[in-house]
Amino acid sequence: MDKQLLVIDGAQGEGGGQILRTALSLSILEQRPIRIERIRAGRAKPGLMRQHLTCVKAAAAISAADVRGAEPGSTTLEFVPQALVGGAQHFAIGTAGSAMLVLQTVLPPLLRADGPSRITIEGGTHNMLAPSASFIERCFLPILRRMGAEVELEVERVGLYPAGGGRIVAKIAPSALRPLALDARGERRGIGAEALVAAVPEHVALREITRVADRFKLRREQVSHRDLGTRTGPGNVLSVWAEFDQVCELVTSYGERGVAAETVADRAADALQAWLESEAVVGGHLADQLLLPMAMAGGGTFVCGEPSAHLRSNAELINRFDGARIGIRAEGRHAHRVTAS
Amino acid sequence: MKRQVVFGFIGTQLDATGGGAGRWEKWRPTVSLGMHEDLALDRIELLVDQRRFKALTSQVVADLKTVSPDTAVRVHDLYLADPWDFEQVYSALFDFVRAYTFDAEHEDYYVHITTGTHVVQICWFLLAESRYLPGRLLQASPPRKQKAGDPGSYAIIDLDLARYDPIAQRFANLRADTTEFLKSGIETRSAMFNRMIEQIERVAGKSKSPMLLMGPTGAGKSQLARNVFELKKQRQNLKGRFVEVNCATLRGDGAGSALFGHVRGAFTGAQSDRAGLLKSADGGLLFLDEIGELGLDEQAMLLRAIEDKRFPPLGGDREIESDFQLIAGTNRDLAQSVREGRFRDDLFARLNLWTFYLPGLKERSEDIEPNLDFELARYARNHGEQVRFNREARERFLKFATGIDAQWPGNFRDLGASITRMATLSESGRITTAVVDEEIARLRRLWTGRATDAGEDAIDFSALLGHDGAERLDRFDRAQLAEVVRVCRQCRTLAEAGRVLFQASRERKASSNDGDRLRKYLARFGLEFERCRA
Repeated sequence: MDKQLLVIDGAQGEGGGQILRTALSLSILEQRPIRIERIRAGRAKPGLMRQHLTCVKAAAAISAADVRGAEPGSTTLEFVPQALVGGAQHFAIGTAGSAMLVLQTVLPPLLRADGPSRITIEGGTHNMLAPSASFIERCFLPILRRMGAEVELEVERVGLYPAGGGRIVAKIAPSALRPLALDARGERRGIGAEALVAAVPEHVALREITRVADRFKLRREQVSHRDLGTRTGPGNVLSVWAEFDQVCELVTSYGERGVAAETVADRAADALQAWLESEAVVGGHLADQLLLPMAMAGGGTFVCGEPSAHLRSNAELINRFDGARIGIRAEGRHAHRVTAS
Repeated sequence: MKRQVVFGFIGTQLDATGGGAGRWEKWRPTVSLGMHEDLALDRIELLVDQRRFKALTSQVVADLKTVSPDTAVRVHDLYLADPWDFEQVYSALFDFVRAYTFDAEHEDYYVHITTGTHVVQICWFLLAESRYLPGRLLQASPPRKQKAGDPGSYAIIDLDLARYDPIAQRFANLRADTTEFLKSGIETRSAMFNRMIEQIERVAGKSKSPMLLMGPTGAGKSQLARNVFELKKQRQNLKGRFVEVNCATLRGDGAGSALFGHVRGAFTGAQSDRAGLLKSADGGLLFLDEIGELGLDEQAMLLRAIEDKRFPPLGGDREIESDFQLIAGTNRDLAQSVREGRFRDDLFARLNLWTFYLPGLKERSEDIEPNLDFELARYARNHGEQVRFNREARERFLKFATGIDAQWPGNFRDLGASITRMATLSESGRITTAVVDEEIARLRRLWTGRATDAGEDAIDFSALLGHDGAERLDRFDRAQLAEVVRVCRQCRTLAEAGRVLFQASRERKASSNDGDRLRKYLARFGLEFERCRA
């Protein structure tokens, strides 16, 4: 073993799952063995859950890793990558995980693989507890592409929780990432919204987009809706986004039984409005996701709002590896600047 | 990590929520098995009657595949004509489990007990508890508020775990309690007797059929019958009374009347209606001891009463109903009585379903010591006085009581009487060697008398030979000498006694001087003819 084992405290900061995924990605990128201890210590159900295991499995599959402790409830995981294997991979993850979280884990390392990869993931694409496929498509991937990544994502089928049945295909070509500076949003291009319904009456989607259109004074062609049929669902997802020259922010709101369509729409609109009125260039979720690509690029910077505990612990974890350092400092009264160097 | 394997029925109620998308908003126990965040199943073995639930099965299997692609699902077609029929369900599951190849080294097994009828649940439990199915129980529960995607919770119950020992212990205690209870709290050591008590416990708890207790007098039939009644009262919720009758005391005309009752004027002296003992035992338990002594007419009526739960009283034609359970006791060989025509074979067949043989004390000599302690405790209870043996005295008495000499013809009744005597004669609560020696001599006197014709006096060997001489006497010699002494006492002269004793050889002319032969025999014990007659 060339590189020294890195021991990571899985209970530090907040996101147990986020730490795990970032650690797996970095371990593969640096081909460095890791041991994560105290995984999700102090939770009602401590240790690895199935949604985490799906990420571990996928990470192991692209790195021929030796894995120990990959079972439900395990609080220690050892992960020793042996290689970085691109090519075609297929992961079926069921209800327990989010297809997007699996993609988030394997995408960064695969940018450094020897050859192109084609990753098919079956499972949920829009899950309340994970970034949605829409968010990845509209917010994350455009920035990654601008950093030099050759990535295509096709959402073949939307899969809602818990019925699942979604399917995405990601094509990833080996790419060198360049630093990118996101100092300002740039010109506003427009606001849009899309409502998805599955086994839920169409009028729910229509009422949602109508409400969003009212709130932001949008024209009819700026909003849309889709009926996914009864294959997945029941479910209702509303995405509302604001696109700027440099950046896009998208918020997702999920319909619930007993909650009016208008309320679902207002929740999304309120969240987007809050971002619009803030000094942040990059939204909270996007900030989380950009840290690793920035570290891979060896530089770059962005301005965001108040950094979450998630963001801080993620940055700390990245700094324990060999690559670029992430720094976070306050800039102005409500903004923070995140820099990789 | 071992592969995780779950067995379970498809819930034809809970898993059947209809085919629409709305099924995802309802809690389905089987599908939820694949949705728990902390439970990764490698395989689910689904039991279902496919003929009736084919569509449901396909849907559950497909949905499991969606929520948990890594879980293999195997469907077993199990036909149950009546899933509420205990015997049918148990044998179907038993056969299934026996045919299944378990690989406990590489697989952990769970039984999903949330689906299936209650009978199915009970059978699963029994199979897991008896380890025919080497797995743990998995109980799934719905979420407090049903919500799409909420798999609820689950609990794994390992019946082998130490923390369930108290439950198992409670069963064991309960069982021990009842068997101990049947033994009147005596910690019997005889394996044969204890086994029999366990059988009686099982039969008494479940069966309403007659029981037959065989065994010599004093073996404890009556006490056991009373204990069985108490047990049945508890287990079968008997509301009626315990009625005990010794058939030997029912002779002649009064027998039928006592048992079956009579109407006024049925016979001379029948001045009013009488209910009879069978009616008194309605809803309870009738113990007919010495049933072999019952007359043939009464036997016929009893059989009818057992079978029909109704019978006519003497002299009446309006039948009396009485639903009683029956225990019969006997010290006779009833089969022999049947052959001799003294006992009805149909009644014997009816009684001979649950037959238990209560061994006499000689066959249970290891139980003498616990019975001794029991009798002392009983004495203490009854008389408010604690009595104990000296160590030496206790050893001496036990040696005698368990020895080959001790006959105990009245079995445990005799033992109880003996101990009560010693306890009464004890000084300041101590039974000494002197008290024991006296009691041993007393018992020997009693038994010698009984050993021969009951009408004759017992031979007191201690008086004849002194205490030590009597102690040294072999049983073989004792029997012979007792008969010789008895003859001597009936004859006036030595010669007369000699003639009586050696009559057979006299007739064959094999012996001439019978008197001399008798004198020589008596001399071996240091006895003379006159001394024998004293």
